[in-house]
Amino acid sequence: MLAIETNNLTKKYKDMTAVNGINLEIKEGELFALLGTNGAGKTTTIKMLSTLIYPSSGVAKILGNDIIEDRQKIKEILNVSPQETAIAPNLSVKENLEFMAGVYEVKNKEEKINELVEMFKLNEVLSKKAKSLSGGWQRKLSIAISLINDPKILFLDEPTLGLDVIARKELWKVVEKLKGKITIILTTHYMEEAESLSDRVGIMSKGNIMEVGTTDELIKKSGAKNFEDAFVKIATGGEVE
Amino acid sequence: MRTINFAKRNFKEIIRDPLSIVFAIALPLFLLFIFQQIKIPNEAYNIENFTPGIVVFSFSFITLFTAMLVAKDRTSSLLIRLSVSPMKAVEYILGYIISIIPIILLQNVLFYILAIILGLKFTISVVFAIFVSILVSIIFIALGILIGSIFSEKASSGISSIVVQFVCFTSGMYFSADMLGETFAKVCKYLPFEPAVNIIKAVMNNNYEFVTLENVIVFIIYTIISLVLSSIMFKKKMTSDNK
Repeated sequence: MLAIETNNLTKKYKDMTAVNGINLEIKEGELFALLGTNGAGKTTTIKMLSTLIYPSSGVAKILGNDIIEDRQKIKEILNVSPQETAIAPNLSVKENLEFMAGVYEVKNKEEKINELVEMFKLNEVLSKKAKSLSGGWQRKLSIAISLINDPKILFLDEPTLGLDVIARKELWKVVEKLKGKITIILTTHYMEEAESLSDRVGIMSKGNIMEVGTTDELIKKSGAKNFEDAFVKIATGGEVE
Repeated sequence: MRTINFAKRNFKEIIRDPLSIVFAIALPLFLLFIFQQIKIPNEAYNIENFTPGIVVFSFSFITLFTAMLVAKDRTSSLLIRLSVSPMKAVEYILGYIISIIPIILLQNVLFYILAIILGLKFTISVVFAIFVSILVSIIFIALGILIGSIFSEKASSGISSIVVQFVCFTSGMYFSADMLGETFAKVCKYLPFEPAVNIIKAVMNNNYEFVTLENVIVFIIYTIISLVLSSIMFKKKMTSDNK
């Protein structure tokens, strides 16, 4: 079964088309990177697929469930790590994990929390208030929280934005650990991130999906020397090389 | 269970940022104390009449910090995360209400302790009045959710301050509404604040002449409208904020 399938998925805001009839097929267990310049429609696509907003037209299915009709069912099987760190600032790291475990009514709560604490090495900050953590720790916590319900599909919206190189590499390691176990849709502005982590890449521009393929396929197809050049060529329709 | 879980989180957020609670408790306590020291020749300031007024006045601060809590939550990405989760609008609303009830209880207990020290006779009616006050407070929490759902954190505090002023002028806590003319008195009768004071006053004094059936009906209607509107607006804003 496909993890995500969209057919002519569109989002319009008055006269502006944010996402223009995109067709996507993402396999279960795949790490799919959605790339594009600012305003390309990546975040809007993620918001539609994660039930945050309704599409204007078109169809999208998450593991066979329609994003409009089966909304409540879908909410149980996916999770999102939004662009900004989504944590409760006055709660400690442990309380944040407990709170979200409560939201998803996780049965083996303690076990799950311990697993995440170990995976993200959160032990040393466990009792600290989330607002007192550095950006890197906050982002780690935000991603850890998004795994609390064992999602089958995880949306990571620019997970390493604003992080220093070391924090970014640490997060990459965590994402690599998740690869193959769950379906991940990642948006990023960092080409090396997409290249290093993703199985396939979709390049968006002005609300359209321009190309989909592995990074090697896209380099070859565009005739560029490297992935960054390939991205620029595809995203601009060859106007900038 | 999700409701209780959300309420627990809200309660922790509130008590760990306690400035607004201190304000919601300390100012009314100060007013209760100071107005009993000055012998004002107006029966509105008798401890039996003034204490219920102070209770309702303190609830207007509950509106203020509920509004700020909701507005703050709306601007944070945490609400995006929660919007993706299976939580429903009604669970949010109940979660906000339940988290604030312990603070209402604390406010009430402190006000009545001070009122008793200042001369209010303690009877079982005082305990009943505390329970009724919790029910009365729901409209103020709902108003806070409504304001916080519509406005930004900054604007919410301004708008809620208007509610605070409105309560002062229309609840009859400082002066009888009749003093400002028949029309003003009529308006106050059909706003929820004077009926709120009258309901608590009647229960606290075990004297039901203070309240009319009309007061109770007006108050219940406003409470229901506020709850429905706050739920609708919160749900609507949760979707539109995510655009």
